[in-house]
Amino acid sequence: MANVGEEQSPQSTSAPSDAADDYERLRELLLGEERRELAAARARIAELERQQGDLPRRLPEAAFSALQAHRDNPRVAAALATPVGQALGEAVQHNRQGVIDALFPVIGPMIRRAIAEALRGLVDNLNGAIESSFTLRGLKWRFEAWRGGVPYAQVVLRHRLAYGIDHVFLIARDSGLVLRHASAAGLPPLDADAIAGMLTALGDFVGDSVGREGGALDAAQVGESLVWVEHGPLANLACFVRGVPPPRLRELLRQRLEEIHVLLQAAPATTTLQECAAGAPVGALIEPLELLRDAQRGDAGAPLARGSRRPLVLFALLVLVALGAWLGERWRWQAQVSALRSALAQHPGFVLGRIEARPWRSLVVYGLLDPDADSPQPLLDAAGLGQASRRLQVDGFVSSDDPVVQRRAQRLLAPPAGVRLAVEHGVLRLDGTAPQAWIEATRARAPLIAGVRAVESSLADALDPLAVARAALERALDAIATHRVDFVREDEPVAGSDTVVDALAADLRRARTLAAQAGVHLDLRSVASSDESGGDATNMRVRALRLRWLALALAARGIDGVAEGDAAANTDPTRRGARVQATVRAQPQ
Amino acid sequence: MLGDFGVGKTSLVARFVRSTFSDKYLTTVGVKVDSKEVARAEREPVKLVLWDIAGRNALDTVSANYLRGAAALLLVADGTREASLAAALDLLMQSRALLPDALAVLAVNKFDLLERWEVGAPTLAQLRRLLPVFETSAATGTGVEPAFAAIAAGLAP
Repeated sequence: MANVGEEQSPQSTSAPSDAADDYERLRELLLGEERRELAAARARIAELERQQGDLPRRLPEAAFSALQAHRDNPRVAAALATPVGQALGEAVQHNRQGVIDALFPVIGPMIRRAIAEALRGLVDNLNGAIESSFTLRGLKWRFEAWRGGVPYAQVVLRHRLAYGIDHVFLIARDSGLVLRHASAAGLPPLDADAIAGMLTALGDFVGDSVGREGGALDAAQVGESLVWVEHGPLANLACFVRGVPPPRLRELLRQRLEEIHVLLQAAPATTTLQECAAGAPVGALIEPLELLRDAQRGDAGAPLARGSRRPLVLFALLVLVALGAWLGERWRWQAQVSALRSALAQHPGFVLGRIEARPWRSLVVYGLLDPDADSPQPLLDAAGLGQASRRLQVDGFVSSDDPVVQRRAQRLLAPPAGVRLAVEHGVLRLDGTAPQAWIEATRARAPLIAGVRAVESSLADALDPLAVARAALERALDAIATHRVDFVREDEPVAGSDTVVDALAADLRRARTLAAQAGVHLDLRSVASSDESGGDATNMRVRALRLRWLALALAARGIDGVAEGDAAANTDPTRRGARVQATVRAQPQ
Repeated sequence: MLGDFGVGKTSLVARFVRSTFSDKYLTTVGVKVDSKEVARAEREPVKLVLWDIAGRNALDTVSANYLRGAAALLLVADGTREASLAAALDLLMQSRALLPDALAVLAVNKFDLLERWEVGAPTLAQLRRLLPVFETSAATGTGVEPAFAAIAAGLAP
């Protein structure tokens, strides 16, 4: 310390500076270590401040790195969770629109994703439905949708969505006590008595609240959980279901409750409801698995309610009857058109082209018609086509049908009375008497008539008495050949035979007169016929009887000289009859 | 279980059983149902289904319906309120019209607050001539089991 004092005195001018240096040196000696630490601390603080100032720039990267290493350092996320949550809540509270705007790009995809997830299950079901669209079950569902008036998709979903039965309770109606209870496997135990009691209480509460007579709780649903309650006179059946059960399950429950009542009511009077319900038959009826199985079976096979089939059967019968009636009418129409076609095909002078028929509405016939032929219109009118319109559309042509050719020849030749004109297979036959000039003209014109292939004429001059008599005799002989007496049996004639014999006698008388005028001899001979039944001898006797009967009948009318034919000859085995054969021969010179 | 509001019916049930349902049913539906199996001396145990009917001093239609089919009545009164005892007896009289043969047991509750009881011993002695009476405490459990056991014992078979 003395040395220091000595040195200060000679350097008086620089004393303050020296003092400061000394003081600094002293500080250095006394506080050197602390000062260095202080300087280092200041430098560190400055560095920290610098880093702090740089924090906003580095914070995102730092947070990202920290969160990346979340697994190794969970405290970061934990530390951030609370302030971030509070910040979000604050933001939602005070800056709702800002949050909405910020989340807007996110909300859409989130909703879409949620909907997509929800729809995925639906699509799976629909895929199954589409796959089964053309199966028997698919067709059945379609019919069910049509019958129920609901969309097909709804029916499909109803059938395909899964459901399960958790619990089934059989509850005494009067006391609300559980008579029997069954739960699906794997479910935790429950206080069945308390649940049944509450269910009963709720039913009473609902019934009293609604305030209607007979009102009761039939169903209760919360989300996907559903309770169905079926009511009976002695007991109620409550079924706890998850999912979307089909209506047939409800129907099955109703059936089961009815069957349970049959068992309860059939029990002896000394047995309580509890004792009866404790039996195995009741237990089997409320078993959830059995109920599910039977409900599925109802889906795949026979319907549960027989009554519901009746409208279907009735409808099917009506359809069948209507179809049968329609087919019958259709068949009748076709038969009538077919008959008309046949009649038109046989109509002389008409060639059928085609028939356009619209059942029960209209019919048009196209064809060719000869001007000398009759119109087939009457055939159309008589075809029995009901109210259908009928139209004939024809073009002209020249027919070679015999009746039409005969009518054409009749029109063109205009034969006088006494001339007979006939056409057969295109051959024009003329006989009778006519003036010689007409005969000559006809001989020239007849071959030219369309459809006439040849002409055969036996015309006689009307002015030649002998020829006229011979022509008249020919016609008389033709008439005689047409008279025939028919018999019922043996020689018993049919009714009206007298008229036939009278006409025959008159023609015979006239023929004899004409034969005399024509200078020819007339041979008359009776012949008889019989059918082939009976023996030959019998038939011959019968024919002899008929010959005898005819001879006597003619004799009674003044006709003698008719030779009796040979009874052994049967002239016509298809008829039971007798007639007279007349032949002409020249008189001997 | 019948009794005036606040006498401790629900507390007695809670002391006796482990409830399945929430007490809110009492204020919504008006009843809460629980059950418990009770052992009986030399007889088969019996399962009691307890209908805890919301507290009121007279039966209305809904409450009367809840009595349907009941085999026994546990009437509950609050020993600290003599009026609740009168209400319990009124309820008993009304219930008799619906359930003439039902067993009836009276529980005078809140025995733990004996020093505040308004119901006197002479009254209880008189009541005991009419029906079984138990001093109970839902808070301590005193007398609860015996009251329910008396009901179980009185049920046939």
